[in-house]
Amino acid sequence: MTHAIKAASKNLDFFYGDFQALEDISIEFERNRVTALIGPSGCGKSTYLRCINRMNDLIDGTRVQGDMFLDGEDIYAPGVDVVSLRRRIGMVFQKPNPFPKTIFENVAYGLRVNGIKDKQLIEQTVEESLKGAALWDEVKERMHTSALGLSGGQQQRLCIARALAIEPEVLLMDEPASALDPIATQKIEDLIHELKKEFTIIIVTHSMQQAARVSDRTAFFYMGKLIEVGDTKTLFTNPANKQTEDYITGRFG
Amino acid sequence: MEQRAHFSKKLEDLKVMVLRMAAMSESAVHKSIKAYLEGDADLAEDVIVGDDVINDMEDDIDNFSLELLALDQPMAVDLRTIIGAQRITVNLERLGDEAVNLAHRAMFLSTRPPMPHNPKMESLAATATLMLSNSLKSYVDEDVPLAGDVCRMDDKADDLNIGILRQLVSEMVTETRIVERGVHAIIGARHLERIADLATNVAESVVFIVEGTSMKHSCKE
Repeated sequence: MTHAIKAASKNLDFFYGDFQALEDISIEFERNRVTALIGPSGCGKSTYLRCINRMNDLIDGTRVQGDMFLDGEDIYAPGVDVVSLRRRIGMVFQKPNPFPKTIFENVAYGLRVNGIKDKQLIEQTVEESLKGAALWDEVKERMHTSALGLSGGQQQRLCIARALAIEPEVLLMDEPASALDPIATQKIEDLIHELKKEFTIIIVTHSMQQAARVSDRTAFFYMGKLIEVGDTKTLFTNPANKQTEDYITGRFG
Repeated sequence: MEQRAHFSKKLEDLKVMVLRMAAMSESAVHKSIKAYLEGDADLAEDVIVGDDVINDMEDDIDNFSLELLALDQPMAVDLRTIIGAQRITVNLERLGDEAVNLAHRAMFLSTRPPMPHNPKMESLAATATLMLSNSLKSYVDEDVPLAGDVCRMDDKADDLNIGILRQLVSEMVTETRIVERGVHAIIGARHLERIADLATNVAESVVFIVEGTSMKHSCKE
């Protein structure tokens, strides 16, 4: 079964000032599939993730060369509306970061910012987003209490619901379960399996077991370079590259 | 220093356990073949009594492999090393069983007058023995070409087995007094042919461990 390409980078370089953090990265991300980015700390995987929705633009002195495509269009082309790009590419971070507002307002926030005022539409979208993030049943009785009262795992699923509310096409996840206990982690991983039916997911993870469990494809980064990308099953059972093998078998990193 | 040194040590321990079991199984096969060809009932008895040790070794390796899989969550070549070791162990246990089966034939035949000299039977025994020895050598040295050689020898063992069957059937037609011994000899040849099959399985597992590819059912191509 072949999958259409939703996003892709071609010969992408990235610089923090004079330091080149990414070198010649070409990857294709297939629609409705999960791609995991793995590699030791400092290998560039999170930097690369942030190139996909131009989050690095927010850091002074950074520079991108090469191309990053979403549906075949270069997102770094002049005239691209970055705000609308980020609406299409949602992001979930390592540490749950709910706003100090009610559960309802956290999810409704993105809708309000995008100018939606229809109360019924907002309520409906909030409910659907919370259901999509597998959190609805746990919070439906306390929608108007503070989101800060939720557990860490619930807060992270709330952040996922908040990302889903604006109906993105791609979901970027930067170590979304690294601050969670095993049960909460499992819920997030189950959720990723469900979410890929609707979205294209790209996840950075330090846990190779997690990459193996949740992803269809895996890309291994080392020192700013893409060493190997391929089907997760192959990469974790019979990688083509010796460096990949040494990393996933724990011989360095 | 290599990371996960503790885990690497455990993988080495696993290989040593498999090699110890391999030495026991290979010895049982050698003894049973000698007992079978020479009608040595005492040697056959040794093989039958010794099989429990081989079975216990399989249990130990199973438990250790399971522990490594659960606690160390290995990947790539490490994962294949453990899965491959388990597959080899299953075949080593069956080799022990085939040696016992052959030993039973040897004990029976030792109570009867000797069969006429049969060069094909000796050739089959030598082929099976060489295949087993080379399959274990390929595991020790991670020698994929040697494993491929073992696999390709399997046809020869099959042909010899069929040749023995035809020869003994034809002898039994003309000499009815050897029917009982002939049937046991046919069964003995079948056990030798199975030993060759199991050696082939070991060789296939070696290729899986080293290269991550399966040559099951395809090594002759």
